[in-house]
Amino acid sequence: MKKFPVTPYLLLLPSMIYLVLFFAYPMVQSLQLALRREGQFLHLRAEPAPEAAPVGTLEMQTEVRVLDRLRTEEVLPNGRTRPIYWFQVEAEDAAGSTIQGWVSQSNVFIESRTESTTARVVSGETTQEWTLDFLRRMVTDFRFGSALGTTILLIALILPLQFVLAIIMALVLQSQIRGSTIFLYIFTLPLGISDLASGILWYSIFTQRGFLNSFLVSTGLLDQPFIFIQAGNQGWMIAAIVLAEVWRATSIVMVIVVSGLQAISRDVIEAGEVFGANLWQRLRYIILPMLKPSLQVALILRTILAFQVFAVVVALTGGNVITVLANETYRWYDPARFNNPNVAASYAGFIMLLSLGISMFYLRAVRSQEEAEKAL
Amino acid sequence: MTGRTYEQSKPLMTPAQTAALDAQRRRARLGHNLRRGSIYALAVLLAIWILLPIWLITTMAFSTPTDVRAFPKHFFPIPFSTQTLDFFLNTQGILNSTLNSLVVALLALVISTVLAIPAGYAIARYLFPGRDAIRLGILSVRAFPIVVLAVPLAVVFIRLGMFDKVHSLAMMHAALTLPTTILVVASVFTSVPREFEEAAQIFGCTRMQAFWRVVLPLAVPGIAAAAILTFVLSWNEVFAAILLTISNRTLPAQILYTLDKSGDPFKFAGGFFMLVPSLIFIFFIRRYLFNMWGQITK
Repeated sequence: MKKFPVTPYLLLLPSMIYLVLFFAYPMVQSLQLALRREGQFLHLRAEPAPEAAPVGTLEMQTEVRVLDRLRTEEVLPNGRTRPIYWFQVEAEDAAGSTIQGWVSQSNVFIESRTESTTARVVSGETTQEWTLDFLRRMVTDFRFGSALGTTILLIALILPLQFVLAIIMALVLQSQIRGSTIFLYIFTLPLGISDLASGILWYSIFTQRGFLNSFLVSTGLLDQPFIFIQAGNQGWMIAAIVLAEVWRATSIVMVIVVSGLQAISRDVIEAGEVFGANLWQRLRYIILPMLKPSLQVALILRTILAFQVFAVVVALTGGNVITVLANETYRWYDPARFNNPNVAASYAGFIMLLSLGISMFYLRAVRSQEEAEKAL
Repeated sequence: MTGRTYEQSKPLMTPAQTAALDAQRRRARLGHNLRRGSIYALAVLLAIWILLPIWLITTMAFSTPTDVRAFPKHFFPIPFSTQTLDFFLNTQGILNSTLNSLVVALLALVISTVLAIPAGYAIARYLFPGRDAIRLGILSVRAFPIVVLAVPLAVVFIRLGMFDKVHSLAMMHAALTLPTTILVVASVFTSVPREFEEAAQIFGCTRMQAFWRVVLPLAVPGIAAAAILTFVLSWNEVFAAILLTISNRTLPAQILYTLDKSGDPFKFAGGFFMLVPSLIFIFFIRRYLFNMWGQITK
């Protein structure tokens, strides 16, 4: 029998542990944050003793009426004693029904242990419970709909443009004109450019005193600079974001398409030429069908990245009038603003679900189409 | 030449037919040249589309702050000046955050390369149960959303006392590029012929020595390309950076955070400054880009 290979697993182990630590563990944490709430509740006891049976629970800050009090003594390690009061209280619980029971002085705030007739619940037991509150808060937030809508609108506008442009670029490179290595370098330049830098670049074009207005005014097409980026001009803001994203992120699609094209044998394309197929026919019936796996990968990659669009939007529009899902995630997390990691985690989980869903959809759509073609 | 011999071998053609054939051939050549020309025009147009915004921001970065605010704007940086860039670099926090960015990117590069070399070698050279599953798993986390990871990691880091530390961010950036780095390193190792390794072993090297002395030196350029990609990603990454750091911000996080409070000269110089290293690095790794992103799940 062949010896079981241990070496490759040992070589892979560090990477696998690292990936689990940084991908799987945060995912679980994210779910915890989005769906579990740490709450504090105070159990009222049937008898003035910590082990006594609970008779009801009160939320923090509930006002209680003190009906009776009991002085007990606790022996400290140094031999002295100190008084501990237990109060029999009456209060309304979260459901609105009146309950009675005993609480220790350590769980309530009371002016005078011997005289006050009211107190307030200030501590209790920490519990974790499943909750949909954070999700509800995310969905009912007035910016949620606009963030989701804008993100999807951007994907719908950006992706088709990107794919057409990327295929054109790839075909230009593939036609092996002179200097195609220089063109290759130029076309792949934006790969190294961050979304923030790209946003600033396009801001310099679209801002009121920017290059577009400079051009329009100096050529006499406009008398006065037009303010593209302002609250009333959402169309122009979206257009600016679309241009910046198409400019920046088409390279990655192009690189994938070029690798796909290189894998198509030249004989197949030349055979098409011999049989008199024109450029469009070759593209439609030979190149695109053979590129399908590459396009699928590019589509999944680009869609997932498009769900995370963030810095371009902030750099171009400030992220207030126009907002996207990733921007909302940041706003909810930001300690200087909402400071609510739970709702931020809900957004993160939502983005994750969308990314996963769309990837599955693409994979299925392509596969079922292939099956349908086979069946024919 | 071949065309002429073909013509001569057909003596039955009348002069009129020859002329017609010539005309047809000229038209075909003209058509061919026209097509070449239009492809060329298209290529130039696309190149302008890519280069124009880069040129514009460069113009801004090398104009005086007064010219940056002026309207209408100039297309060339005349008068040439480094005042705007100076102003940007001397703004409080910029030098510090640039340093942070460099440290984060270099740390991320080291972590992800050191982890990826053995993993890539295992995938390239060994056949073992689960190899395809592992490869597929690595491929699928390559596009894992940063936004999804950043929030829980920030909370975990706060709990562990690792929040707002440069090395925590570097660890996260390394995790983000590790899948891609493993795949690239694996493809680089695959391209080194196995025979070289076997020959070294025949000449008395252990497997480890063969790896160190023969395989690794041949794979260094490809590994360097993957490392540079990690550097660029980390240098550019802003979402995790702004969530995971407060007082130790990286350059993009610092610029984004102060964006709405700063004027155009600061913004444009910042945009240019962030752009430059990426442009240089992409030049060095352009040959390997297809290795990195061309791999398809199949």
